[in-house]
Order: sequence, then C-alpha cells, then structure tokens
Amino acid sequence: MTVLPTNRLLFLLRLGLGGIFVYAGAVKLFDTVGFAGSIAAYQTLPYFGNYLVAAILPWLELICGLLLISGFRIRPAAAMLTGLNTVFILFLASAMLRGLDIDCGCFRETAAKTPPWLAFVRDLPLLAASIYIFISAERKGSQG
Amino acid sequence: MKPAIYRLLRDCTLILLIASALGVTWNWRLLTDAFYGKAPSAAQEPAPSTSTPPLPLGLMQVKEFLDRGEAIIVDARSPETFAKGHIMGARSLPLGETERLFPEFTRTVPKDAMLIVYCNGFGCHDSMELGKKLQQEGYGQVFVYEGGYPEWRDAGYPIAGGER
Repeated sequence: MTVLPTNRLLFLLRLGLGGIFVYAGAVKLFDTVGFAGSIAAYQTLPYFGNYLVAAILPWLELICGLLLISGFRIRPAAAMLTGLNTVFILFLASAMLRGLDIDCGCFRETAAKTPPWLAFVRDLPLLAASIYIFISAERKGSQG
Repeated sequence: MKPAIYRLLRDCTLILLIASALGVTWNWRLLTDAFYGKAPSAAQEPAPSTSTPPLPLGLMQVKEFLDRGEAIIVDARSPETFAKGHIMGARSLPLGETERLFPEFTRTVPKDAMLIVYCNGFGCHDSMELGKKLQQEGYGQVFVYEGGYPEWRDAGYPIAGGER
C-alpha cells in the first residue's frame, strides 16, 4: 500500500482521535458512579438515565477508538464518533447557556475541573477530525 | 436504500449494541440498584472503608424520606449560608469544620441512620465530599441530594432561616 499525503493525514488523525477516545473510555470504565454524577450535573437526563449512559458511554468510546486505531470498520466508527461529539457539544452548549458551573466529565481528571466552555472548544477539532475521517475513508472506497 | 448506507447503519447499530451489552453487563449490579433507587450493596456493609461514593437522590425522593421522618438531612454549607436559609429541619455540618463537629455529630446520630447531604445544587461538590467523610466515619446509608438548597427552595418546599 502506497502512503500518500492524504492517507498519512488520515492515518495520523485516526490514531489521534482513536487514542483520545480509547483513553476517555478507559478511565471512565472503573468509575461509573462518579461518571453518573458528572452526567447528573448537566441536569438533563432522568435519575436512572444518568446511570445507564454512564454504564454504556465509556464502552462506546473505547470500541470506536479501538476500531479507528485498528483500521477495521473505520467509517461506522467515525460516524459514531461524529454523532457522539455532536451530542457532547450540544450538552456542553446547553450547560454554558444555563450557566452551570460543572466539570465536563470528559475524562476523569483528578485535579481541577474542566469548565464546559473549555470542553466545548476542545470538542470542535475532535468533531472536525471525525467528520474528516468519515469522508476520507469513504473516498478510499469499501474500507468501511 | 443503497447497500453502502445500509451497511453503515448496520455497523453503527452493531457497535451500539455491543457497547450497550458490555456496559450493562459490566455495571449490572449498580444499574439494578440504581433502577430500584437503592444504594449499592457495598454502602450497606458495616465496614467503614466503603469504596462506593454516596448515591444521588432526586427532589421527590428526598421530600418523601423527610416527610416520613426516615432520613436526617445534613447541610454541608458554611454556617453563614446555613443561617441565610436552609431546608427545614436540616442539621448544619459545614464541610470545613468536620474535624471539630464530627464528635458531637457521631454522638447524637446513630450509625445506621439514613443521611441525606446537600449543598448549593448541582455545581456544588461539598455535599459529595461530606458524604464520603460521613461514610468514612462509619455511616452506612449516606445519600447526596444534588439539587440542593436552590432546587428545594424553588420547588416551594419548607425552608427555615433567613429573610426570604
């Protein structure tokens, strides 16, 4: 397989985005209760919904990240991450609009909390990367 | 529908299903407990070194427990904030003064009492911190009311102290 510049960019983005999501998923796997608390802080979901999302979302992030890195089923993984990032951005925007002083709950930071606006700004390039991967992988044909 | 889109949707659904299956299996105990509104069983064991942080309770649950007199409501905020207004019947136990106040608290409140800790709402982490400290003191049934004083007040439920 010849490594063209676009392929190299795609490869790097896949590794980067995949790595970020593998990390984000892995650190939250072992603290479901804490993550449920972070989700509850958004005051959006019902009580049990917080726990359900806290149970499933880390696995979703982990799986999509691993798929991106491994190169297996890139398009569905990129599509899922595009969806996830969009949902994250909507949640963060709503938290900002309501003036909630909360931690974004993105990773399980032990030190200072990450305010919603910072997470929002951080999410934009991730969204762009996932969209780019989705589109480029399509152009390359039946990889997905 | 074009095969490519169909395959994409199928793969996405598969990913979602696998993640859901793993997530639900992995957290089965916690999810069933949360579904029935119970604390994880680890919190009910007498051992003081519980690794499960206090579970959150919603407004209606807190109201019911307090109406039935089944729980003690604990205010984690500073004495000044407490004086300005607090949930009716709350015990003041500021997070910053736990060292000084715990002896008196543990003497008057039995270890098997159900405690609901609150502070200034969802953005406030003091109630969770105080809840963990109370667990370390040996209290087995500690919950956190995350809506806190603002939600309670705005719901029009009984408050005490302050001008309002």
